[in-house]
Amino acid sequence: MDWYYVEGILILSGINLLAVLGLSLLTGFTGLFSFGHAGFMAIGAYTTAFCTMTLGLNFYLALVIGGLMAGIMSLIIGKLTLNLKGDYFIIATLGFGEAIRLILDNMQYFGGARGWPGITNHTSLMNVIVINIIGIVILVNIISSKHGRNMKAIREEEMASNIIGIDVFKYKLKSLWISAMYAGVSGGLLAHYIGFLQPKMFQMIKSTELTIIVIFGGLGSVTGSVIGAIALTALPEVLRNVKEWRLVIYGATVVLIMITRPQGLMGGKEFRPIQYLKKWFGKKNKPTAEQEV
Amino acid sequence: MSLLELKNVTKQFGGLTAVGNFNLKVESKQIYGLIGPNGAGKTTIFNLITGIYNITEGEILFEGKRIDKTPTFKIADVGITRTFQNIRLFKNLTTYENILTACHFNTAYSLLDSVLRTKKYKEGEAILHQNAKELLKIMGLEERRDTIASNLPYGLQRRLEIARALALRPKLLLLDEPAAGMNEEETFQLLDLIKQVRDQFDLTILIIEHHMDLIMNLCHEITVLNFGKELAAGTPEMIQSNPKVIEAYLGEGEAAC
Amino acid sequence: MTTFFQQLINGISIGSVYALMAVGYSLVYSIMNFSNFAHGGVIMLGAYMGFFALAVGNLPFPVAMILATLGSALLAIVLERIAYNPLRKRNAPYLYFIISAMGASIFLENLVIAIIGPNFKTYPKVFEKEPFLIGTLALGRLDVMMFIISAVSLTALLFIIEKTKTGMAIKATAYNLRASALMGVNTDHIIFIVFGLGGGLAGIAGVLFGMKYTVYPQIGFITTKAFIAAVFGGLGSLSGAVLGAILLGVIETITAGYFSSQLRDLIAFALLIFILVVRPMGIMGKQNEDKA
Repeated sequence: MDWYYVEGILILSGINLLAVLGLSLLTGFTGLFSFGHAGFMAIGAYTTAFCTMTLGLNFYLALVIGGLMAGIMSLIIGKLTLNLKGDYFIIATLGFGEAIRLILDNMQYFGGARGWPGITNHTSLMNVIVINIIGIVILVNIISSKHGRNMKAIREEEMASNIIGIDVFKYKLKSLWISAMYAGVSGGLLAHYIGFLQPKMFQMIKSTELTIIVIFGGLGSVTGSVIGAIALTALPEVLRNVKEWRLVIYGATVVLIMITRPQGLMGGKEFRPIQYLKKWFGKKNKPTAEQEV
Repeated sequence: MSLLELKNVTKQFGGLTAVGNFNLKVESKQIYGLIGPNGAGKTTIFNLITGIYNITEGEILFEGKRIDKTPTFKIADVGITRTFQNIRLFKNLTTYENILTACHFNTAYSLLDSVLRTKKYKEGEAILHQNAKELLKIMGLEERRDTIASNLPYGLQRRLEIARALALRPKLLLLDEPAAGMNEEETFQLLDLIKQVRDQFDLTILIIEHHMDLIMNLCHEITVLNFGKELAAGTPEMIQSNPKVIEAYLGEGEAAC
Repeated sequence: MTTFFQQLINGISIGSVYALMAVGYSLVYSIMNFSNFAHGGVIMLGAYMGFFALAVGNLPFPVAMILATLGSALLAIVLERIAYNPLRKRNAPYLYFIISAMGASIFLENLVIAIIGPNFKTYPKVFEKEPFLIGTLALGRLDVMMFIISAVSLTALLFIIEKTKTGMAIKATAYNLRASALMGVNTDHIIFIVFGLGGGLAGIAGVLFGMKYTVYPQIGFITTKAFIAAVFGGLGSLSGAVLGAILLGVIETITAGYFSSQLRDLIAFALLIFILVVRPMGIMGKQNEDKA
C-alpha cells in the first residue's frame, strides 16, 4: 500500500465528510431526511467546474460560488416542500435529486450523460483537510448556539418547538440551506479531484450513502460523522478482495446497526479527548468543575 | 379589558362541532379553571388559543388584540404559552437543555454571530445560561440538571414542562391537566408550585384539570364545558352548588377517569 | 389519432403494473406509516424468481407466476421480521425504519450482483410477438396480458380488503394502529398479512416488468415510480395509488411517444414535485390536523 493510494482514500473520505457534515446538521440535528443531497453535490460540482474551466475563476472562489448555488437551489426547493410532513418531504427530495441528475443528463453543454472530462485537478489532501476543519468549526459553532438548539428542539418535538416560539419552517429552511452549501462545496472538491464529471455520479445511491454515514456515525454527533465518513469511505477499499460482497456486507451492517444499535457509533455524544483527560486528572482538585456542554 | 377573551368561538371538524359558540373572559392575574367530562372540548380550546387549530367562527382576543389568525410560533411572542396533556418535552435533551432552549427568546444574535463567536454571541449566551440556571433553581430541578428528560420521573417531567413554559416569560400560561397521573402528595406539591410561580412571575393561568380538589382550591373562576358548550360559569362555590353541573359532570365525574 | 390511442393503451398497461407496486407500497404505508424503500428489492427478486422458473426450470408461465408471487410474499414477510419487527417492538422512530429499509435494499441488490451477476437477463418468450389487431389499433399481446394480470390481481386484493374479515381488520388497523390493537385486533398478524399481500403484488409486478424489459439487479429502482404514483394518489390511499399509477403510466408513455424518451423520467419527477407543491395530500388523500 503506497502513500499515493492512502492519500487518495483520505481525499475521498474528506470530500465525503464535508457533505456528511452538512447532512448531519439536517438529519442528525434537525431530524429531516433527504434523499436529494447528491443533487446539491451535483449542482456544486458543475457550477464550480464551470467557474474554473469556462470562466477561469480562482478555484476557491469557484468553490464558494458552487456552495452558494447549491444553497440557492435548496432555498427554492425548501420553500416549496418543507411544509410537507414526514415521507412526503423525503419523496420530494428524492424527486428533486433525480430531476437534477436527469436535467444534467440532457444538458449537452456539460457533456450530457457521457460526462465532462478534463477538469483541472485542484483538490489536494491539504486543502481538503483545511476546508473540513473550517466546516467542522462552523458546524460546531452553529450547534452550540441557540440556532442549533432550536434545530434540535424541532428534531425532538415539533409542536412543542412551535409553542416555545421557534419558527419551525424558518429553522428547517436554514438547516437545509446550510447542509446544501456543504454538499455543494463537497461536489466542487470532487469535480476537481476526479477531473471528470458525469450525472451518474450523483444518483440516489450517493444520497443514500451520505445518509447512511450520518446514521452510522450516530445521529446528532459531529465526531461520529467524522469517524463514520472515514470508516465507511475506507471500508469498501479495505474490502476490495471481497469485491462483490462488500456492498452486501454494507447493507447487512446497516440493518444490523438499526436493529441492535440504532444510536450509531456515537449516538448523540461527542468524543472530546481533552475533556476526558481533564476529567481523569482534574477530578481530585476540583470536585464541582462547572462546564457548559 | 380582560387579558384573554373568546367571543362566540366555534370549531368544527368536518361536520362535527367540537366547540360551539363558546365565550370566555380571563382577567389579569386570575387562575381560571376549565373543567368538563372527557371529550367536552377543553383541549380543543387550548389548541384554538395557541393557533394549533384555526377557529371556524368567532374571535379570540388577547390584551384587546385579535390573535386567532396568529401562527402558533408567534403566540409565544404575544405572551401565551402552554403545557400538554400528554407531556411534550424534548425527550432526548437534558433538563437543563430543555429550559435553555426555551430561553432562546431572551436574546437576539444572528447565525453569523454564532459562526464567528462574536461578542454579541458570547453576551447573549451568558444571559441565556443565567436565565436557565435561575429557572432551574426556582423550579427545584437543580439536582436533575443533566438528567435526560425522558428519564425523569413523571411528576418532574410535568414540572419541567412548566419550567420550560416559564422560560418564555409568558403573561398567560395554559396548563393542560398538569396533575394527570400524579398521586395525592404530588398533586398538592403541584398546587403549591402553581401558586408560587403565579406570584413570582406575575402570571395569569388557565388550567384544565379533572382533579376537583385542585381546581376548587386553586381557581378564582371556573367554566364547565359539556359537549363543546358552556354549561356553567362562576366561582368555585357557585359551580359546586349548581345542579346542572352536578348532574352533568360531577355525578359521573368518577367514571370520566 | 391511432397513435394516440396506441400510446394511451400502452400507458394504461404500464400504469397498471405501476399500480401493483404502488398499492403494495401504499398498503404497507397505511399500516406502518413509513415508506418501505425495500419494496424495490422484493420486486427485483420477484423478477428473478420468475426468470429462473421459466428459463431454468422450464415451468409453464402460470406456475412461474405463482411461484414468483408466493416467493416474493415470503421474502417480504421475512424482511419485515428481520428488518422492521425489532424496531416496531421497540417503538423506534420512523426514520430508523427507513434506514433499515435502505440497508435491506442495498443488501438484496448486491446479493444478487454477487451471486447471479450484474448482467441483464432476457426472459424467454412467453407470448407471441404478433399483436392483436382491433381495427387499426395494434395491441401488443404482452401489453394486453400485463393489463389483464394486473387488473385481476388488484381485483383479488380489493376483494380481500373489502369482503373478508381480515380485510376489515386491515382497514381498522390502517385507521388507527393502536386503537385497533386495543379492540383486540392482532396487529402482528395484520402486519404479517399486509407484507405478504404487498410482497405478492411486488412479485407479480417484477415478473411483468422482467418480461416487458429485462431483468437486472437495479430493476428495483423502478419503485420510485410507485412512490410517485402513491404520492399522486395520496399516501396510504389504495384507490388513489391505482389512479395515480395509471395516470403516471399514461403521462410517461405519451411524453416518450410525442417528445423524447429521455424526458420521460424527468417529466415524472417534475410532476411529482408539482403535485407535492400544489396538492400535497394527493388526489384522494385526506389532510389531517396534528392532534395536540
